[in-house]
Amino acid sequence: MGHLIGKEYCLDHLVEVAKSIVLAIHKAPQITGKTEIQAEILWGDDLEPIIEVLGPVAKVARYVQWDYETIKRCHEKGESPVIINLGAKVSTSNLGWNCGACGFDTCREFNRYSKNDSGGGGQLGGPCCNWKLLDYAIACDWACASAWHYNVDNRIMGSLGFALMALGYLPEADVRLGLALGPPRDMVYYSREEMHKTLDYEQDKMDMIRCVPTMFTGFPGGGNPMYKTKQDWWAPPEYMGVGYSDAAMEVMQEVLYEQVPEIVVKHADAVAARYTKSN
Amino acid sequence: MRRYVEDLNFQGEEYVSEWTPWSPQDIRRKKGVLEAARLMLNSALTAPFAGGVPSTEAHLVYGQEELEALARKMEELAHTNSAWKKAFLYEAVMVRDSDVILLIGNTRCHETPLDAGCGMCGGTMDCGYFYEKKNHKYGLVDITDRSSPRMIDGPLCSARVNDMGYAVGSALWTARTLMVDARPFASVGIAGHKLGYCPKSGMVVGIPVAAKAKNPYVDVNVDYHLINMDKVLDNTRKIYQTARIIRGFDYRKWVPKPVNTDKEED
Repeated sequence: MGHLIGKEYCLDHLVEVAKSIVLAIHKAPQITGKTEIQAEILWGDDLEPIIEVLGPVAKVARYVQWDYETIKRCHEKGESPVIINLGAKVSTSNLGWNCGACGFDTCREFNRYSKNDSGGGGQLGGPCCNWKLLDYAIACDWACASAWHYNVDNRIMGSLGFALMALGYLPEADVRLGLALGPPRDMVYYSREEMHKTLDYEQDKMDMIRCVPTMFTGFPGGGNPMYKTKQDWWAPPEYMGVGYSDAAMEVMQEVLYEQVPEIVVKHADAVAARYTKSN
Repeated sequence: MRRYVEDLNFQGEEYVSEWTPWSPQDIRRKKGVLEAARLMLNSALTAPFAGGVPSTEAHLVYGQEELEALARKMEELAHTNSAWKKAFLYEAVMVRDSDVILLIGNTRCHETPLDAGCGMCGGTMDCGYFYEKKNHKYGLVDITDRSSPRMIDGPLCSARVNDMGYAVGSALWTARTLMVDARPFASVGIAGHKLGYCPKSGMVVGIPVAAKAKNPYVDVNVDYHLINMDKVLDNTRKIYQTARIIRGFDYRKWVPKPVNTDKEED
């Protein structure tokens, strides 16, 4: 006997669905059969450090802004998504195939580079043995497909992968992505109702001018075309410029090397402690 | 506008069986697998992709000669590398035992990277690892020299490779949903690519597909390239024929009987 009313039980059940999805992640077929996939589940207030880290990054990357705002707004109104952290160790090849896909002639050379010379992981980790990365991606896809079959709105996110890496989640992994699940309604992460009225018409139009400039290019025969950025675009004419941007780089530096580390410092020990306990 | 003409001639019967191979009843069965593989391909095209950018091409390969050519290429490659020799030889057997091969490639991983500075290719904070090893002008990669001695002309944009993993994963998910057996293989992908399948791709994964009583891709024995169903059947032809030759009676006149049998044989 029972009677479930309201939305709380649905939100609670998302965690159970996430557990089932993790089973699909571990069941996913592999090409190499030698890639260990790692999966964890986060929800509720445990999303707050992730939201906090994404905050400054959202200021310099629109796609991060969209993920950040969506997750944050859902969380703030009591409809917190559930996030599956997906990781794998793919920066070392134990295949010996010497296929060349990584850019080196042999796996041994790649492994030496990976150990000694790489930058130690970019936004999403790396370097990668591409065959092992395929195993990882298949598992990520099975997570998405599984969520789809449960009819839970979901999106696999590089933005979350960056936050997971910054905060030290999945310490054994060297690539990370996050799968955001729910809340239980349609189009949370596509068309994004949460983001309504975030951008006005002019901002949206300027995005398109910057991202798809050929759509706004005037006659190019002169070699320096005018750009049709307004109704009477010819009077006075406007031109596109390309150049290094001190302002853009300063903001990027500030975000990545000052603001994000400041937030990470607040949470890193608590995150690390979880892995120590579980060991 | 041409009107839809409804075909109401809906009657018939089809006999389907996996035995004997390449018989009409077996080919009907294979056609069902081809339909499944087509849907797997569609699923691959709808997988999540970074930025929603289309970068997948695919080939469906079926038929006795086509599968044999693919298997032979895999066997040729097997002997070039001791690390994958056994796997490639075993998987060549699986290709011969398959109904349809689905090859999925990524058309951008070697030429038009994501350019997002994700670092997955080389672990750096930008795309320098990829571009420094490529022949390019201001970021436009020149792929016209296809003479690389490597099996795969890396480095590749790992974000695109990751996308290809999504495509392969979705194809495999659909295979699982449709209850056809399927498995992703590097060997099939590399051999298929060398044969010219998925010609615009920088990397290819092969997925053999089958609908048979026994899943061709699991439960293999040792020396599978030497001991498998084809070989067992051929071995039977070899041994049993010779075993008949050394018999000596005219069955119309006399047939040997077991000793100590009370009743007459029929």
